[in-house]
Amino acid sequence: MKRILSILAALTLTLCAMSASAETYTIGIGQFAEHGSLDNCRTGFIEGLAESGLIEGENLEIVYQNAQADMGIAQQIAAQFAAMPVDLMVGIATPMAQACYNAADGAIPTIYTAVSDPVEAGFADASGAALGNATGTSDMLPVQAQLSTIRAMLPDAKTIGILYTTSEVNSLSTIETYKTLAPEYGFEIVESGISTSADIPLALDALLPKVDCLTNLTDNTVVSALALVLDKANTAGKPVFGSEIEQVKLGCVAAEGLDYVALGRQTGLIAARVLKGEAQASEIPYEIITEPSLYVNSDVLSTFGITLSDELAARAIEAE
Amino acid sequence: MLQLLGVLEQGFIYAILALGVYITFKILDFPDMSVDSTFPLGAAVTALMISAGFPPLLTLPASLAAGAIAGAVTGLIHVRLHVRDLLSGIIVMTALYSVNLHIAGRSNVQLFSFNTVFKNPFIDALPDAIRPYAPVLILALLTLLVKVLLDLYLATRSGFLLRATGDNPTLVATLAKDSGKVKILGLSIANALVALSGCIMCQYQRYFDVSMGTGTLVLAVASVIVGTQIMRGLRFLRATSAVVLGSVLYKGCVALALSMGLSPFDMKLITAVLLLLIIVAGGHSRRRGKYHA
Repeated sequence: MKRILSILAALTLTLCAMSASAETYTIGIGQFAEHGSLDNCRTGFIEGLAESGLIEGENLEIVYQNAQADMGIAQQIAAQFAAMPVDLMVGIATPMAQACYNAADGAIPTIYTAVSDPVEAGFADASGAALGNATGTSDMLPVQAQLSTIRAMLPDAKTIGILYTTSEVNSLSTIETYKTLAPEYGFEIVESGISTSADIPLALDALLPKVDCLTNLTDNTVVSALALVLDKANTAGKPVFGSEIEQVKLGCVAAEGLDYVALGRQTGLIAARVLKGEAQASEIPYEIITEPSLYVNSDVLSTFGITLSDELAARAIEAE
Repeated sequence: MLQLLGVLEQGFIYAILALGVYITFKILDFPDMSVDSTFPLGAAVTALMISAGFPPLLTLPASLAAGAIAGAVTGLIHVRLHVRDLLSGIIVMTALYSVNLHIAGRSNVQLFSFNTVFKNPFIDALPDAIRPYAPVLILALLTLLVKVLLDLYLATRSGFLLRATGDNPTLVATLAKDSGKVKILGLSIANALVALSGCIMCQYQRYFDVSMGTGTLVLAVASVIVGTQIMRGLRFLRATSAVVLGSVLYKGCVALALSMGLSPFDMKLITAVLLLLIIVAGGHSRRRGKYHA
């Protein structure tokens, strides 16, 4: 047994040594979970690198690991990247990014993406400047745009319900933003916190009678149970607004959302600058996507009898 | 080499967790489900204290105490309220989720800008040749200390009673001792160690996350079983040493599975196969008889 283990270990070491040689760059991409948006992020990231002339298989070696939503595994992935060592670490979603940032310990530049609040996560100060050798992009939701769209589509609505998971720090900070901005648009926010997806049916039954519509965050637990949310909400006759295109495809009315492929691409461009030595990660403030896109689902719009104003119709993209 | 360091570091952190679970799972024969929440409990206490400016070393006794209280609650629910062992653990696990959120204040607290036991001016002042090995040395010492203290305790009168309670509660009763009290004590010690492990993990990864406890029980039980299985092959090893070894081997299997460069989908499958290989290879000199495993 020991011999098998040592042979395996030796093989692994050789493989690692081989991949680090020559003049290609080696990067480690750690993704926290298997999730449509995060996958899109990764696809976009690799595209962004390619646009900058760093092409996988030519002058770029990508080691991709997925933590399958396990924090312990996330730590080990980050430690593995640090041990190889890679030229650059990429953390997709907050826990993975934090693990990479910690393991890199300033010695290896870290690029993060799909982190809603880089300030809360400890990567940047309030001005957006990097605190350590890490930079990236934030997927903070365009809450203002979302509220204005809901107001335009539902002129009589007064309350918006939000279902969120208490363990997701991004959801909490987004709810705070919603609560601050809602009065400007004449809305009241009613939130309901859950701890596992098993709580969703009961929470919805309690929440739906109190609200005129629902809006989703990028809350992983709630989004994973979207079919159930839509089913319950449709039965109650309440429209559900999404937070990205994938949710609108599944049956949300509309969403002012981010294009995660574009977000990943933007991140890839930053990573390329760092890899090529054009700038240090610590010198680049984190970036956000400023212009959200409006995605709509015409079938669901007509079910609820909602007609788009000319202004909205002009920029609406049909999600299909 | 560096990758081996990572395996040892994480193996030692989880070894403290596994030693705690060894007490409940193997010695007391008590399926304590509350571990998934007492692990982040230690981390939550640590995150709160460190961000409030307490010296990092103080978080160790504080999380030990927090874990001990949580363990005692599980024990009291089981012994005094006569709730089934499995269920009392589940009740405490569920309640602690909210407690952990309240203690930490948020579901994710980062400590990147604070001193920890692994990252402080003293460690930074070490020569470059030693500094990378500082965490693994600290962890090895700490794990050794916990292991030796536990060994010493198990050899005391109270420790013998603890072992007797798991094997033969009737014997404890004939000795005119209250096996309920012994169980509560055992659960306290076990969960104190689990919380200590969470405290160390929080300082090692420099952030707390409320869901960092998910799956810890499974991981700890796996380490305990791998360890005790190896012990059957290597009889000179004490059970506690074997548990520490089991934890390091478990983390080694995960690291090996990761570095094989296979599809991320297969990572857990490979880990499972490697574990199975170790268990089969280590169990060749199996004794006959019943095991609580």
